[in-house]
Amino acid sequence: MKKKVVVVSILLSVIVAVGLLTFQQENPVDFSADVKPILNKHCITCHGGVKKNGGFSLLFENEAFAKTESGQSAIIKGDADHSEFIKRLTSDDPELRMPYNAPMLHDDEIDILKRWINEGAKWGEHWAYTLPEKVEVPKPFSFASLLGMNPSGISNNIDYFIQDKLKEKDLSFSKEADKETLLRRLYLDIVGIPPSLSELQSFVKDTREEAYEERVDRLLASQQYGEKWASWWLDLARYADTKGYEKDGSRQIWPYRDWLIKAFNKDMPFDEFMVQQLAGDLLPDPTKDQLIATAFHRNTMNNDEGGTDSEEFRMASVLDRVNTTYQVWLSTTFECVQCHSHTYDPFKFEEYYKSVAFFNNTRDEDTQGDHPRLRFYKAEDESRVDSIKSWLTQKGNQKLIRSTDLFLHTLEPKIHAHYSDQVENGALYDTKWLGIRSGGSARLKHITLQGKKQLYINYWTTLKGGTIEVRKGSKTGPLLTLVQLPSTSGRQVIQADMKEDTGVHDLYLLFKNATAAKDQPICMIEWFALREGFPVSTDPESQRMQNNFMQLINTNPESVPVMIENPAEMHRKTHVFERGNRLALGKEVQPAVPATLNPFPKGAPNNRLGFAKWIVSKDNPLTARTLVNRIWAQLFGRGLVEPLGDMGTQSTPSMHIELLDYLALDLMQTKKWSMKSLIKDIVMSYTYKQSSSLNQGDADKDPANIYLARGPRFRLSAEQIRDQTLAVSGLLSSKMYGHSVMPYQPDGVWMTVYSGESWTTSTGEDQFRRGLYTFLKRTSPYPSFISFDASSREVCLVDRIRTNTPLQALTTLNDPVYLEAAKHLSKLMQQEGSGDSKKIISYAYKKLMLKNPSAEKVVALEKLYKEALLNFNKKPAEAIKFMAVNASESKDPALTSNAAYMVVANALLNLDEFLTKS
Amino acid sequence: MKDLNKLFRELQQQKLQAVTRRHFLKDCVAGVGSIALASFLASCGGNSGSSGAIDLNALNPLVPKSPHFPGKAKSVIYLHMAGAPSQLELFDYKPVLQTLHNQPCPESLLAGKTFAFIRGIPKMLGPQAAFKQYGQSGAWVSDHLPHFSKVVDDVSFLKAVHSDQFNHGPAQMFMQTGSARLGRPSIGSWVTYGLGSENSNLPGFVVLTSGGKTPDAGKSVWGSGFLPSVYQGVQCRSKGDPVIYLADPEGMSRDLKRHAIDAINDVNKEEYNTYKDPETLSRIAQYEMAYKMQVAVPEVMDISQEPAHIHELYGTEPGKESFANNCLLARKLVEQGVRYVQLFDWGWDSHGTNASDSIDLGFRNKCREIDRPMTALIMDLKQRGLLDETLVVWGGEFGRTPMQENRDNSDMPFLGRDHHTDAYTIWMAGGGVKKGVTYGETDEIGFTGVSGRSSVHDVHATMLHLLGFDHEKFTYEFQGRPFRLTDVEGNLISAIV
Repeated sequence: MKKKVVVVSILLSVIVAVGLLTFQQENPVDFSADVKPILNKHCITCHGGVKKNGGFSLLFENEAFAKTESGQSAIIKGDADHSEFIKRLTSDDPELRMPYNAPMLHDDEIDILKRWINEGAKWGEHWAYTLPEKVEVPKPFSFASLLGMNPSGISNNIDYFIQDKLKEKDLSFSKEADKETLLRRLYLDIVGIPPSLSELQSFVKDTREEAYEERVDRLLASQQYGEKWASWWLDLARYADTKGYEKDGSRQIWPYRDWLIKAFNKDMPFDEFMVQQLAGDLLPDPTKDQLIATAFHRNTMNNDEGGTDSEEFRMASVLDRVNTTYQVWLSTTFECVQCHSHTYDPFKFEEYYKSVAFFNNTRDEDTQGDHPRLRFYKAEDESRVDSIKSWLTQKGNQKLIRSTDLFLHTLEPKIHAHYSDQVENGALYDTKWLGIRSGGSARLKHITLQGKKQLYINYWTTLKGGTIEVRKGSKTGPLLTLVQLPSTSGRQVIQADMKEDTGVHDLYLLFKNATAAKDQPICMIEWFALREGFPVSTDPESQRMQNNFMQLINTNPESVPVMIENPAEMHRKTHVFERGNRLALGKEVQPAVPATLNPFPKGAPNNRLGFAKWIVSKDNPLTARTLVNRIWAQLFGRGLVEPLGDMGTQSTPSMHIELLDYLALDLMQTKKWSMKSLIKDIVMSYTYKQSSSLNQGDADKDPANIYLARGPRFRLSAEQIRDQTLAVSGLLSSKMYGHSVMPYQPDGVWMTVYSGESWTTSTGEDQFRRGLYTFLKRTSPYPSFISFDASSREVCLVDRIRTNTPLQALTTLNDPVYLEAAKHLSKLMQQEGSGDSKKIISYAYKKLMLKNPSAEKVVALEKLYKEALLNFNKKPAEAIKFMAVNASESKDPALTSNAAYMVVANALLNLDEFLTKS
Repeated sequence: MKDLNKLFRELQQQKLQAVTRRHFLKDCVAGVGSIALASFLASCGGNSGSSGAIDLNALNPLVPKSPHFPGKAKSVIYLHMAGAPSQLELFDYKPVLQTLHNQPCPESLLAGKTFAFIRGIPKMLGPQAAFKQYGQSGAWVSDHLPHFSKVVDDVSFLKAVHSDQFNHGPAQMFMQTGSARLGRPSIGSWVTYGLGSENSNLPGFVVLTSGGKTPDAGKSVWGSGFLPSVYQGVQCRSKGDPVIYLADPEGMSRDLKRHAIDAINDVNKEEYNTYKDPETLSRIAQYEMAYKMQVAVPEVMDISQEPAHIHELYGTEPGKESFANNCLLARKLVEQGVRYVQLFDWGWDSHGTNASDSIDLGFRNKCREIDRPMTALIMDLKQRGLLDETLVVWGGEFGRTPMQENRDNSDMPFLGRDHHTDAYTIWMAGGGVKKGVTYGETDEIGFTGVSGRSSVHDVHATMLHLLGFDHEKFTYEFQGRPFRLTDVEGNLISAIV
């Protein structure tokens, strides 16, 4: 025993000595790697973005070295012993000793801080905020590489990085997964549904070296690739088919989902993909598709509840867009800066509102109509639009052509009823529509009259003979126009010519109708618009064009909400919200990007488009890394850096940053932002192809598979579980695009207030579409998806947490959708498989899992078959119920055996290996 | 079965080393994560001995956990009156308001205030009920609640609660999640996250609705926000399956289902032998729990077996969707160890646009629907010795104006009151709440609190305190920072605990 102690202590002293030696020779202390983590852990909560106790903050360099409340700087560069910052760490007085009311720092931590100050207290940036220019691939010497071949266990550069880290942990790559497992993994990852048995068999037989790569290419080129990856992006885009909040009415925004599928399928470069979604409307002469892309940020919620302040919820949407943009593209928790400077990351309070300023000038204003919406005219109407435009081209007014085109396609810019004020003898009904009684009035303030010759009003009334006098400056000011209001059937847009005027004025609207009852508004108004109008001419063509124009804007075509920027005359100012309170306006700010990140690109416009270009600038340290990290997580179940939503000082320390940087640089420089190339690179790596089974040694060293000494294994997503079940049972529809569908869901799930809408189960193949086409009502999402951790899409979600619950078991066991699938599967297995029950069951197993079952598994499943058969033979009436068969089918002599196979099929669809990608 | 024991023990060992659900137990500095881990370690330690008993609970994220300190309340029943009932017709007696009836509201009261529907100058509306004092405590209760007036000595009233949201959706979100915006966990999710649940055969957080509609804010008011979805409320329904997909398909007997679960689990065990993935074992446990839940839930949801005197007490009618049935179910659920039972009763939005939402007619009927059952709930919990450990909370998402509503600047067909955020009443009983206390007071017309004002965050802080949590330390790490139910606010209302 004593001897042991001696040996141990000798060993220890050797270790200490070696440690000290290495310590002496070590490089200077690195701020980001060594110092910042200590500050973040122990200091920054009280001396950071929110609190600056004692006037001391460690968040920014200038603050850290500035004078504190004591009048002295807490850190004196080069002199740790005289720095108050260090003295306080070791003080005997508990009132002085820091961290206050918390355990003392460890000696080695204090030592690092001392050395850092003595070495000059060099400040540095967190790795996340600077991108290296180049990353060397850690290739060890090997003869194979001399010969131009890959050493064993290396398929591409990714593997060198992983291998390098595995060595540190004394781990090594697992063997390659068997071909069956690998092909299933590949299919589920790239197209979201498993391969058929015949696709599997051809792959297994194909022994050529390029067999795997050919499959990868084929899958990336398939249409289903777009559906699988759009499904991922829809969580980030917080896409839903309803508007959210109390009323949660439907919103037609599926054209955005279809745009997304197509964008993925044509491998739109990610920079372009980003710019179109964020600012497609600001591109020169945007195409219809570029406008649809902007629906990304129209997925914000809309509050239609009566009595709500539209400005409050417009602002809520704007802030959500800022937060979502930073989250989706930059993995940054920018919402933290809404009320105060960031606690941990180098973003200042005011910078938040400078970013808001980029987003604060769009036309959407939380209206029930979800304006602005891009209108999809029928072909014949679209050709009328074209004829108006070509007629205007003859007249040669470019500005008018653009504004006419914009108005026909979006009815913008318009002034919503809620903009009116000084309402007399009337009200803004349900805080949405302006309803004024006879003799009453309302004001539209600060209206630009320069160049406006026509007034358009969207209104409805059952009364004849109403009029609106529009007067300038006051209720008794000069009359600009007198609008006659015919009675309408439903909403109608009417046009009235206005006297030309100049300048910016308040308009007063005086409503009159002698026939209206005392308490009856003479009409309801949804919006106004003022326009330049067509060139005045006696030309009958001119009249025809004006008529066409009126007819077109009075149609109600299919549409999608889009972003449209305010014209200069409607420009909104942006102010800081003191402590995040919308009603406490601070100083005015101009659009600008945070100082810590890359500079705003030269020559880019100072608007949303410029902001988008700033994000996809090759100098942006976060954009490419974010994409790489998220795609990696889709394939491996966790990111190279975690959490996926926060790449910054609060990220979990990661050993994979070099790989992340390498892939990010490669994506921008070599791959030209091609997402397909990136995915291909990853799935071609040996790292990806490894078997995912866990051996005990690895389990001890790396239980969570952070080092990647084995392949990925995790439960499929909600949508994938449904898609896969429908696919293997032969039910899955391959129909793409279009209106969202309503597959079976139990009665009584939708019980929302004030909504006449109901879940009407789709018919035909629409019952069996892929999950991403399922109608998503935010306040009542599809129940089986929610059980499997899908999002209700109220806000952007970057990482679904995978849970494992009894409600999931109940779903796949009892949901009629899964039972229907089991019924179909039981037929297929008997048709396609042949022989005795053992063979049929083995076949079915192989059809689902794509490999042969072990003898034990067959025994367990065959036992179930026999018990079920016995059960149904005793009680054939139950088989009839279970199979839900009609009278003639119920006479089938194979009925009980069919029912027993259906029980087995139901069990197969519930197996862990079926629900899991391995 | 023996090898299953072995597998589970193996899994428990593994769980010590590998926390696969990284988000659950992410190393929170001072959050429940570490507490959860601590109790998890304890339960594993307890089971790794030679007894060999399977503890399925160890694989259950809802395994019971200890709070920061021993709480008096073990479970919660929250009665949310969706639509916001008028405090002025129930508990907040304002004789002065009666004398001002039909007078125009002074403009000074309206300055700087926003209302959902009131425009211009509304008239004051006197109380539409008669008030008396009851019990030893002398609490004021209106004649709308004759039953409830008998239990006031078991109750503490908060008379000056205030909100800052005057629309139903956001206000309900605020009341139930501490934030008017979507994406935060509900109180029930926080509580089941922090405490787990005592009965693994039933959901830990059950939601029951009545009044024909779900609350305005939809299912988000029992959502789990950024917490794992396992902590979201499970809606148990009066019609159809009590829990969606709970019932076996027609023609599948319990025995046959047992065989099916056995086969699934046998194959999954084989699968575990190949991949050694702890999630596979967790799945085996979930299938066992699902099988048991299929029996336990319908059993607890069936009130037909309750004795006649209980039905008499609550005024229940089996098979109907009613607030009364839900009160009885709530008692049964907490008796069975369910941690958090959330009731929503819809139909309290007394604007006066029609008879059913008028303050003089429809409101009276709604009171009749709740009076007997909520009183019965308190009495029944008490007689079973459960009231001391069950916190009962009653309230809406805001209050109603002392002024009569004049929607769109015109007279309403019926008497009604608009939404009002400045003052409303919430009561609590049981679970460590003081008996017979009235805290907070409003001005002479019930417009605003003049003393003892409590914010929504204060109410949450107090509820968490009663359950054993320091609301400032009860956090969850999300996107780089710790989140709390009470955000950065909330003070314990010590007057009532």
